[in-house]
Order: sequence, then structure tokens, then C-alpha cells
Amino acid sequence: MSAPLLEIEDLTVQYRTNQGMLTAVSGASFTIERGEFFGLAGESGSGKSTLAKAIIGGLDDNGEVTSGTLRYRGEEIQDLAETELNERLRWKEISWIPQSSMNSLDPLQRVSEQAAEIGRTHTDLSDEAIREKLKEMFDVVGLQQSRIDDYPHQFSGGMQQRAIIALALFLEPSLVIADEPTTALDVIMQDQIFKYLDRTKTSTDTSLLLITHDISVIFESCDSVAIMHASQVTERGSAQAVHDNPRHPYAFMFKEAFPDIREPKRELEVIDGYPPELMGDVDICSFADRCPWAVDECRQSAPSLDPVGDDDATHAAACVRADEAYELYEAEGTDPDGTGRTIAPEEDD
Amino acid sequence: MSSLKRYFAVRSAQTVVMLFLVLTALFVLFRSMPGDFTTQMAAAGANEAALARIREQWGLNEPLYVQYFEYIKNLLRGDLGQSPVYRVDVWEFVKLRMFNTFILVAPAMTFTYLFGSVVGTIAGSKRGGLLERIGIVPVITTGSFPAFFTSIVLIVVFADWFNLFPTSGMLSATSATGLEWWEPYLSWDFAHHYVLPFTAVFLRYLFIPSLIMRTSVVEVMGQDHTEYHRLTGISPTKRLRHVAKHASLPVITIYPVSLARALGGVVLIETVFNWPGIGFTLVEAVLGRDYPVVQFVFFIVATFVILSNFVVDLVYGVIDPRIRIDD
Repeated sequence: MSAPLLEIEDLTVQYRTNQGMLTAVSGASFTIERGEFFGLAGESGSGKSTLAKAIIGGLDDNGEVTSGTLRYRGEEIQDLAETELNERLRWKEISWIPQSSMNSLDPLQRVSEQAAEIGRTHTDLSDEAIREKLKEMFDVVGLQQSRIDDYPHQFSGGMQQRAIIALALFLEPSLVIADEPTTALDVIMQDQIFKYLDRTKTSTDTSLLLITHDISVIFESCDSVAIMHASQVTERGSAQAVHDNPRHPYAFMFKEAFPDIREPKRELEVIDGYPPELMGDVDICSFADRCPWAVDECRQSAPSLDPVGDDDATHAAACVRADEAYELYEAEGTDPDGTGRTIAPEEDD
Repeated sequence: MSSLKRYFAVRSAQTVVMLFLVLTALFVLFRSMPGDFTTQMAAAGANEAALARIREQWGLNEPLYVQYFEYIKNLLRGDLGQSPVYRVDVWEFVKLRMFNTFILVAPAMTFTYLFGSVVGTIAGSKRGGLLERIGIVPVITTGSFPAFFTSIVLIVVFADWFNLFPTSGMLSATSATGLEWWEPYLSWDFAHHYVLPFTAVFLRYLFIPSLIMRTSVVEVMGQDHTEYHRLTGISPTKRLRHVAKHASLPVITIYPVSLARALGGVVLIETVFNWPGIGFTLVEAVLGRDYPVVQFVFFIVATFVILSNFVVDLVYGVIDPRIRIDD
């Protein structure tokens, strides 16, 4: 069997700051197969966007991959220079749907001009062929073909978002990274966007890495999922397995924090506290201070991402109490000691 | 009509109206200054009856609105009138002086802005690079000196010590006569005299486009569409071109304003270099209440500001589709 499309192994990304090295991603590992829709969930600042940017070589100047490997079709890409990324990877293989679609299209270029520039850089296609491809994609995302020559400001926000998606897809990349593609949109528009993305799933074998804080979106449209908390992947596996059999406390509390239409009366989970800011190497479970079931071991080393041993071989959780945490939650809720307060109070400085 | 054409048409009409308003304002402004051109004659001891005759002759006794309509009527016929002080046609009087200033300032400022934009782009695109940290210092230093000081230093160093250029004037006194008016401007002698004043204008104003462009480039580099361009994998050269296009908008905005200010502001440079430009002419004309000359010179300067703004708007309309007036 050939290598998977994208393998991320023990990846650590750090930013140089005035206070030292800030760890944004710590020891993350997961794999995206060809044609797979992979969801990466977590709250703001958990490192999911950083992880995604590391894949396409888009880290800010002060960020770097300090350890671990990124393999694309079996080849290591974490150390590729800017020119190699441009020639071999960007857009031809991996394209990008940015978080801020409203400001990402160049306001001084027609969408077709921007597409022509990208197309001429990465392919030998004629300008006419590039226009045709863009028109096709406009069709797929529900924009009129005649509007490819419009400027971004002539589109509404939702239309800009769709134009961005068309641009991400028109060169038929193998992997599309979508960084919160629907953040700025209302729910109806969100739903449509996912319909367009789903449509590409059936028509091509494009893989998608979908980054979002809305885990319900992932369970709805992705095959696999990884859930991040403060730089660490806490749990990963098939969407089905993680949904039905979550093991990491953050994973199931995060999941329960979203309303479910099938259980309208259920109380939503609240996760107390804030994710910590991590300077230097992370050698604890970053969720320990927010976790009702934390034990001393959680703060002694970073838990490894171990298979949980169910039907799904990819299903793994990084929790020393992965075997019992969910049962404890089912039995006692988030208040195991009955003290009413499980989170260590913040220390005064 | 396309939105671009419509935009041009609307802006053209606005420009004509603006020019007319400027004419009117100038007329009222200078007539409301105390005294007229006979005041100096009176001070020199001319008798009152003679002065009254002169006022009569020049129409200064007429009500203001009569004078105004007369003035506009003549202007529309292309008649700028005579200077009552020098008794020569206004156009004849100022045209060469205006041209002298213009041929110094316009190329110098244009070159300064092009050069400064490049300096600013390089400095801004390599934040913390050598050029940003050190290269911008001399630019700011020379820009901080008063223009006359820079001019004097240039003269002392390059004209006096090294004896490379003449110390002052626009042409050598020995220049041949009987030429067409424009011929001297093509001579080596002129070019020789041109270098130092040109350099003085350049050093004086270089900091403006450099600093604006640098700040603007830094800002645009941090914008989402620049990051998007980078991730789409287009070449760094193309990316920089996009950045420069965005970043040049503020520089283009300030260029005509700067140019117009420089046309008036090079008085000091003209004075130090003895450049036969418009600055001295204007000062003299204002003091002498030489209405026709003053009005015309100010009108030309104002026209220039308005027209250059007009041109900027047109360039904007071409560069930035968002500026065009929508249908």
C-alpha cells in the first residue's frame, strides 16, 4: 500500500517571543488518507491554525517546526525552502481556504486575474483553460460563471467565501486545508458551504483538513477527527469512534459543550478555566488543571497518544485515565468528589 | 457608459467648477487687502490728482462686481491683462519664471518620489534589515535640515571645494543670445547649473515618500491578502509587486500635495541658488499689490494643485476599482 497523503508525526511548533519559546503545537500526530475529510477541532488558541499553517509552510516569521516530521506522500516537507514549497506543494498539491476570507482576496485584482496568476505559476494551462476551470468551480460553489471577472468588493461576504473556495479547488489539489471556513457566515450560509465542500468529496478524491471549533460540524461532515487542547492532540480517530466512544475528558466535555438537536433538554457542559500558555517544552497534560479527574501523574509527563483498543485502529487518546474517565463522567458527572468544586483554585501571585 | 468613463466625466466637471471657485476667491481676497498698487506710488510722492487718474484708467474706481465681470470676461478671452507696476503683459512677465521653477521642481520631485518609493519598499519589506535600520537614517537627516542649509552645504562642498558645479544662477552670463526661448534649457550649461538645485530638492523631500512607503509596505505586508498571495505560491517578485501596488496608494495621494507645496516651498532653494523662478516674483508682486500678476500666479499654482489631484484621482480609478463611482 502506498504512503498516506499526509502523515504528521510528533510535530512540535514553537514561536520565538520576548518571553522565550512559546509552544503552540506539541507532539501532534495524525494521518490523512487520500479522499479523507479530516476534522481538527479545539478552542481558540489550541494550536490548530498553527498546525495547519505548518503544513503549507505558512508560519509567521517567528514560528518554526522545532521537532517531528510532516510527510506528504511519504516525503518529508517540514524543512522545504520557500521556493520548493512554491514549486512543488502550494496550490498544485495543497491549497488553502483562509480564516478571514473577507480580506484574503486581493481587492485590486479581479478574481479571474488572481486565478490566472496562480494558474500560470503552477500549471502550463492557457489563460482560457484557467478561466474555464474557474468557471466550473464557480458553478460548483453556486456563483454565476459570469462573475469571475468581478472585483472582491462587488461580492457579498458569503460570495467572497465561495469565491475563495472556488480558488482553492480550481487547480484540483490533493489536499485542501480549510481554516474555519465558515467563521464569518450565518448558519444558512455555513450549511451551503459544507454542501459545496461535500459535493467536491463525491466528484473528486480531494482530501480536506477542516479546522473548526464547532465539533458538531466535524461529526456531520468528516471521516476522522483530532481534538486539540493547548498544543496537544488529546484524542483522535474516526469521527464515528470519537463521537460514540470518547475517552479523553477534554474530548467528551468539548463534545457535550455543544447542543444536540436530539437532546434538546440536556444541559450543556461547561469547561472551567482557560487553556494555559505554554512556554518551553510541554511535559504535562495541558488539560490537567481543568480536568475533574486529574491525578498527579497527569502533571509528571505529557501523556502519549495511545490506541484505546476499540474497533477503530486509529482511535487513540492521550490520557492516563483513558480507560475509566468516561465511565466516571457517566456515573458522577464532572463533580466526582461531591465537593462542588473540582478545579484547583487559581493561585494568587 | 462604463463606470470608469462616468467617473472621469464626473471628476472633470468637478474640476472645472473648482477652478472657477478658486478664481473668484482669489479675486475677492486680493481686493480686500488694504491699499492698491498706487499706494506705493503715493508713498514715493506722486500727486493725488495723478493717482486718481491712474485709478480711473485701471478701473479701480468701479464697483467690485464690475471689476470682477471685466476680469472674468478678459480671462475667458485669454487676456490676462498687464502688470500696472511693470507695464508689461502678465503672461510675458511670468511665463519664463514659472517655467524655470517648474522645470526644476517637477522633475526633481518626481524623481524623489520614485526613488523614495523604492527605498521605502526595500526598507519596509525587510523589516529589521540593514537598509531599514541604517539606510533610512541619512534620508531623515537630510530631510530634517532647512532647505537653505542643505543648499549652502552643497554649494560649499561641490561648487567651492571641489569646483564641480557653478555656485549659482541658471545659465552662464556668457551664453549665446538670439536663441529660441527653449534652446538654453537643452544646453550643457543649463544641465551644469541644474545639478545642485535638483540635488537640494531631492535631499530636502526624499524622506516623505521613503517614510510613507516604508510604513505603508509594512502595513500591507501584514494584511490577509498578502499572506494569501504567499500561500498560493506565486513568486516573491510578483508578491512584492502586489504589495507595492497597495502600498503606493498613500504615496500617490501625497505626491501632488507635496509637489504643489514644493512649487511654493523652493523659494529658499531658489534664493540660495539664485534660480530665476517664481518665488521672488510672487513676493514682489504681493508687496506691490500687482493684482494681475498675483492673481495669475496664485491661480496657476491652485490650478496645478487641482489638476494634479484630478490626475491622482484618475490614476486611483485605474489602480483601485473600489474608488470608482458606482452606477
